[in-house]
Amino acid sequence: MPKWGMAADLDTCTGCGACVTACHAENNISTVGPDQAARGRAKHWIRVERYWEGTFPDVRVKFRPVMCQQCDQAPCEPVCPTYASHHTENGLNAQVYNRCIGTRYCANACPYNARFFDFFNPSWDKPLHLQLNPDVSLREVGVMEKCTFCVQRIKAATSAAKAEDRPIEDGDVTTACAQACPANALVFGDLNDPESRVSRLARSARGTRLLEDLGTQPNVTYLSRQTV
Amino acid sequence: MDRRTFIRLTAVSGATTAVGACSVPSESLIRFVPDEDVVPGLSVWTPGVCTLCGAGCGLTVRLMDADADVLRDGQKGVKRTLAAKKLEGHAEHPVNHGRLCARGQAGIQVTYHPDRITQPLKRAGERGTGRYEAIDWEEALADLAKRLDAVRATARPGRLAWFGRAGAGHRDALVLAFVRRLGGSGPIAFDVFGDEVLRRANAQSFGRHQLPTLDLVQARYVISCGADFLGTWNSPVAHSLGYGAMRQGRRGIRGAFVQVESRMTQTGANADEWLPANPGTEGALALGLAHVIMARGAARAGVAGRAGAQIEECADGLPSFNPEAVSGLTGVSAKRIERLATELIDNRPSVVIVSGPPLAHTNGLFTALAVNALNALIGAVEQPSGLFFTPQANVAAMAKLDAIGQAPADILPMHAFVAERLADAASTPELLIVDGANPVFSAPPAWRLRASLLRVPTIVSVGAFLDETSALADLILPDHSFLESWTDAMPESGASTGVISVAAPAMRPLHNTKSTVDVLREVSAKLQPPLEWPWQTHEEFLMASIGTLPPTEKDGDGWSEVQMRGGWWGDLPPTLRRASSLSDETSGGSRAGSARGAAVPSPRQLERFTTPQFDGDSTAFPLYFLPAVSPVFLDGSLAHLPWLQELPDPLTSAMWSAWVELNPDTAQGLGIRDGDVVRVTSAHGWVEAAAILSLGIAPTLVAMPAGQGHTTYTRYASGRGANPFTILAAVTEETTGALAWAATRVKIEHVSGPDGRLVLFAGGQRAHGASDYPPHR
Repeated sequence: MPKWGMAADLDTCTGCGACVTACHAENNISTVGPDQAARGRAKHWIRVERYWEGTFPDVRVKFRPVMCQQCDQAPCEPVCPTYASHHTENGLNAQVYNRCIGTRYCANACPYNARFFDFFNPSWDKPLHLQLNPDVSLREVGVMEKCTFCVQRIKAATSAAKAEDRPIEDGDVTTACAQACPANALVFGDLNDPESRVSRLARSARGTRLLEDLGTQPNVTYLSRQTV
Repeated sequence: MDRRTFIRLTAVSGATTAVGACSVPSESLIRFVPDEDVVPGLSVWTPGVCTLCGAGCGLTVRLMDADADVLRDGQKGVKRTLAAKKLEGHAEHPVNHGRLCARGQAGIQVTYHPDRITQPLKRAGERGTGRYEAIDWEEALADLAKRLDAVRATARPGRLAWFGRAGAGHRDALVLAFVRRLGGSGPIAFDVFGDEVLRRANAQSFGRHQLPTLDLVQARYVISCGADFLGTWNSPVAHSLGYGAMRQGRRGIRGAFVQVESRMTQTGANADEWLPANPGTEGALALGLAHVIMARGAARAGVAGRAGAQIEECADGLPSFNPEAVSGLTGVSAKRIERLATELIDNRPSVVIVSGPPLAHTNGLFTALAVNALNALIGAVEQPSGLFFTPQANVAAMAKLDAIGQAPADILPMHAFVAERLADAASTPELLIVDGANPVFSAPPAWRLRASLLRVPTIVSVGAFLDETSALADLILPDHSFLESWTDAMPESGASTGVISVAAPAMRPLHNTKSTVDVLREVSAKLQPPLEWPWQTHEEFLMASIGTLPPTEKDGDGWSEVQMRGGWWGDLPPTLRRASSLSDETSGGSRAGSARGAAVPSPRQLERFTTPQFDGDSTAFPLYFLPAVSPVFLDGSLAHLPWLQELPDPLTSAMWSAWVELNPDTAQGLGIRDGDVVRVTSAHGWVEAAAILSLGIAPTLVAMPAGQGHTTYTRYASGRGANPFTILAAVTEETTGALAWAATRVKIEHVSGPDGRLVLFAGGQRAHGASDYPPHR
């Protein structure tokens, strides 16, 4: 049974935002427009944070792509009254949209701001709806949504491996963000496979986990930015 | 009735069943029979070519069944068709190796844009009002043929003009041949942030009129002067891949990276050392580094060869560019100059890159030549880890279009067109074809481009959208999107081998549009006398041309392979290369020696540093103005895509907004706080936008990303924000005449507090009214 995880190398992440658009395209995330975005309702399952250090002219910036950290001890899960937010066997924090009643407790509990509430029904000006990915369900008003580690791709790759009667291998499945990443900063894979790329990166001396001291046990490893 | 019968009964072909019974048109949809074998729920993957910028990345297009609204013979209907679902990088493509940038990902929205022009249109109101009436293709082509015949009858050169983009693929070659055969000039390419200065410098230094490819994978030390090579410049995906490998791809070696620029770009944000220098002095800085390297005896001037020999004093070790003198010019301390020079030469393989604002000054060409000389001195030219030039196929020779007659030099820069053609009525073209370019949006106001274009008797647009330029058209013949037609591109850089990206149409056209190549072919046949072409279709054209290249696999059928692979890449036969490469021209071991060749412009005299000139009095306009390339919209041509509008800017997290960046110290002196509305005034006008206080900008500078401020460009971009080009001075680079877009001075004033026009994704500053609707996060 794989345990899915990701590694993000902050030394190679260039902050370009390719992951953000790739995620929109893969996961049918609707744009909300300027008025709703101004109210904090824009949805980006993965975002690129920036941290400024120093003052002019000695300035440094560090980028950090942040998505759902798929925590082992996820604060979003126990607070959900309907078990919409729950833990799967292979380590994902899953969200069952049609169980969700929109209490938003999970978003309050999440220390990573990784959860996004649908304040209204999504709409696409025709024919933009033709771009929708049929493998991913649309979320309607009143539902919480978040990064799924592209669970539809995991399912498809798992079925394909099963049909060929073999275990799923490293490289069989990757998320849309990692696939697009021009600098190869995002790596996705099975943490239970000690030889997988993500496992090796997760063991790196540069590896840290976001807000680790909260005890959330995230499955995303950040490899720290190096300095000269 | 079972489900199968029901579907069969409802799937009627064409408009044979009049649906008179349904009074509401939206309910009278007819289901047309699918045109291809579509298996519901199964994905098909096909190659594509991204055409959103010049990089020419290869795509893999995911296709699945979908119900598309179609109009047939005036009857609305739905049709089950194969529709593109996602664009991904082509795994084997030598430029992008399976990766794709944010803009490329959003390219799918070009095809599905709700405001695409869906059929031929003819102007029905005053010019520029955007009122059009629908016509059919027969009428549209006949109209165009008639107008072209009339133009051909007047025996004046330059009577036909074409506004396009500077590309080197088959479509571009065909357009060039078409315009030339009709006695036209052009195509006239205008990319405000274009690289003409750098190409010219590379021709002068290295004999290559081309953008360089950077081999970052092996580099240990990189200095970039203003080049946004990870974001928007050149081939960003290819260079990002190299950058990732340079940082973490080698055990025990991590390449260091210094960015010299006055306003931080996304690329600069990744630098280990970020170094602002006075605008327009980057060339002096490069020579300062060269001085230190030569003074230390680490390299002799002779090594810099032809690139060095063009620079005054280079043979004598550049005595005028000693660290103290350069420090006075650039504002970078002498100690730092010495350290950077030492690091650059000691950490070889190293390379210096230049592009962007440093080349957009009156002395831009010198800056590029100085950096070229420095690269030659440190042995970074055509060497592993350095810069090299991607082999270029000669498409005109392959397609046998050169027999028809054309020369690349015929591409006319917009500033020359404005000065020579639009200045008086006698030389104004009679017919202008606008091909997706939008110079009315990005030209400086002093060119008076819109007013001049209004005097052109006929304007025809083949673009897919109504924008500031195409809204002036009398006749609109909309092109297919790049997923609906044969597409090709020849990457100028980003690969070590010759590459031509080619793709068949991934999906059927959604609308009643026509490929511009077909328009040219069909209209050629209607002319009196007709223009003959040696092929009948776009595919035949590509097949005939690419068939001249060797098959990529032994005993392979070249054309099918090319279609399956999504392009041709490999070793170009010397006869089909566009120009000989530097390594061909230099003999034996002496690198960067005296390059020869008739096509190479000879230097007029030794190049020397000149102080950059700025438009506007420094007392009235105390700050430098920098219209910056937008990481998402480039020069504004991608502002119509909603995904890109809602993509947070990497350094500010702004979405759907225009803004002005200034240093907190500058702002404090003017009483400006983060988010306040400010007015930026030059000698040519003013713009208003929200202020963002940034640590990554010099106190002498005001920057404003391009892209917003469209008056006409679909529902997503029209009337949003302000356009920095509207206050730009028409200062030009002194040798090449290219627009020096970083040479305007401005003043800045406080207008009001935050008014909600600035939308940020990140916390910190919330837009106006946010307290009424507390964000859930």
